Amino acid sequence: MTTAAITFEGVSKRYRGARTYRSFRDDLAAAFRSRPQRVAVQALEDVSFEIPSGQSIAILGLNGAGKTTALKLLCRIAYPSAGRITVAGRIGALIEVGTGMHPELTGRENVRLYGKIMGLSGRDIQRRFDDIVEFAGVGAAIDRQVKQYSSGMQLRLGFSVAAHLEPEIFVVDEAISVGDAGFQNRCVERMTSLSREGRTLIFVSHDLSAVETLCARALLLRGGRLVADGPAPEVVASYLAEVHAEQSTAQSQRIDGDGLVFDEISVLDEDGNAAAEVLADRPMTVRIRYRASRRIAHPIFTVGLSEGTWRPFVAASMLVDGDTPEAIEGVGTLECEFASLPLNARSYDVWGSVRGEAGFGDIIDWQRLCTFKVRRDTVDPGKGSVVTGGLAPVRLPYRWRTDA
Amino acid sequence: MNSLVNRRLAEEAERSHGRHGAARAYIVTARDGFGSLPSNLLEAWAFREVMLAFASRQVRVKYKQAAIGLAWVVLQPLIATLLFTLVLGKLSHLSSEGAPYLLFALCGMVSWGFFSEGFTAGADSVVADAALLRKVYFPREILPVAAICASLVDLVPSIVLLLIFEIGYGKLPTLQWLALPIVPLVLVMGALAFNLLPAALNVFYRDVRHVLPFLVQIGLFASPVVYSLQEIGQPFRDIFIVINPAACAIDAIRRILLHQEWPELGLTAACLGWSLVLGLVSYYFFKKLERSFADRV
Repeated sequence: MTTAAITFEGVSKRYRGARTYRSFRDDLAAAFRSRPQRVAVQALEDVSFEIPSGQSIAILGLNGAGKTTALKLLCRIAYPSAGRITVAGRIGALIEVGTGMHPELTGRENVRLYGKIMGLSGRDIQRRFDDIVEFAGVGAAIDRQVKQYSSGMQLRLGFSVAAHLEPEIFVVDEAISVGDAGFQNRCVERMTSLSREGRTLIFVSHDLSAVETLCARALLLRGGRLVADGPAPEVVASYLAEVHAEQSTAQSQRIDGDGLVFDEISVLDEDGNAAAEVLADRPMTVRIRYRASRRIAHPIFTVGLSEGTWRPFVAASMLVDGDTPEAIEGVGTLECEFASLPLNARSYDVWGSVRGEAGFGDIIDWQRLCTFKVRRDTVDPGKGSVVTGGLAPVRLPYRWRTDA
Repeated sequence: MNSLVNRRLAEEAERSHGRHGAARAYIVTARDGFGSLPSNLLEAWAFREVMLAFASRQVRVKYKQAAIGLAWVVLQPLIATLLFTLVLGKLSHLSSEGAPYLLFALCGMVSWGFFSEGFTAGADSVVADAALLRKVYFPREILPVAAICASLVDLVPSIVLLLIFEIGYGKLPTLQWLALPIVPLVLVMGALAFNLLPAALNVFYRDVRHVLPFLVQIGLFASPVVYSLQEIGQPFRDIFIVINPAACAIDAIRRILLHQEWPELGLTAACLGWSLVLGLVSYYFFKKLERSFADRV
């Protein structure tokens, strides 16, 4: 019998209403009111699952699905309203790194303090101090006050301490969606090696590529209920379907930026008609109708295609090609035509951002703009595209050679 | 079968106490209440290093970016005492039990300064670390305890200052000085008993935060800092000493330093007992309320 590291049995969590601040006066007033004013929020409802020791598992779900609540209950930060949670093993949590860092203290003092709060003993910290500093990449700044650190440095230092914990169960919440790409890779590596050492890993992230790299199994929460529990690729697919369903209802949503608004974003097929579905291997155009409330000189537009994650697999950026307009002001249209879509048939996201002149300043942050589907009319069975279609989004012509 | 596994887990959890930090195994249910006193105390003890880390943070942060830094530790009671001496010692005719008024008031101020600091910092401690409450597990009572430990660091230099004045006034050390440790003991126990409940209530009602300054001011006058306990008639004096740890400590330190007497043992023991009972009752409610801290802070 493999032992379970974590067991949730019929766990529910209700919060009292969404009101944040209460005073004694409010409670007094409530005592004289016949009907309760607050509505309870059901964050988790009758959730049951078991995680065997040594397994890596991801928890997916839209915002407000109850992922963070589940982690909080697991770590005894909050307590369930019903049900039972069993944890067998020393747990180490990495929930939104950087909390607990005190701005007035130096990096060195913070590492000692934060390490102890996270569960390292004084001797452990002493032994791993150099590793922690090196992993964070803060160098000589370790003896400066943390308030002089950039926010990136602060986050890296926080994560670095947590990454050097050696718990049997490691809980990670959205932590690696921060920091530069190099640091993110180091984090994924660290988590991979932890999981290879046989530690249990529970991972909550919107970075689906990291989820698929790290986890074999995933759970999907929707409105506080557990709706899927199975192999990560399958659960990721149903999660993406959920994201896209939400997106298509909100497709015409405006995107507001700093003095610039995207009023309408559409995907055009080869005939120039707005379409929810376009043909593979044909031209496709992303059209943005914008409104600039001020004159923006040399705006740098970037448009990318992704499978649902923030990391695009194709990007068109004016930062690279330099084809930036002289200036934009008032209402206008921008189109980006992709000559051909060598993609497999499924849903994709269009992501975009606008930055100021020379790439400085976010006018519109990098975000999901809209969603579209690719249809493939001809299936060439000889190339096995139906099967491989599930693996990768992009199709390139290829040929096998063998000396057999 | 399931119950067997759970029993094994519970045993494992019991064994792992005493290690630093989180237990190796635990079970959380919706109905968990206070649990048992020993298990709570063991859990808190397992987190002693974290508690000391919080205390050391508070000490370090307190005087950062203050030009004269630690000098404030002795300047604060000294300035307050000088003010009292000028205003009350000269203008009013308060009894100073035959001792120099400055020395008399300094005895009161050093004790009261620690008690009020431990009380207010402790009562504010849980809310002050709201961000951590939402992210990291630790038994929450270590926050008010750490606040008191941090205030203790201030108490040592101010007692040294007091002793310097004592010798300056020609009062040389006596055998009774050996009883001095009873003063911080009474103050620590008292501050702990008094700050646990406000610390917990502060999470739910921020009103507590606004009431604190008034409580401290009332406490200053409800403790014999500027006046002598001798001016209160019996039996109120004895009752007063028992229920107000600050009064008990001030009386003890004055007996030792001003009159070369031993503290009143019976009353001091009664005061410690009262603090213990009040502390345990507060602790019970603190642990009950603790479960919803993260939801409500």
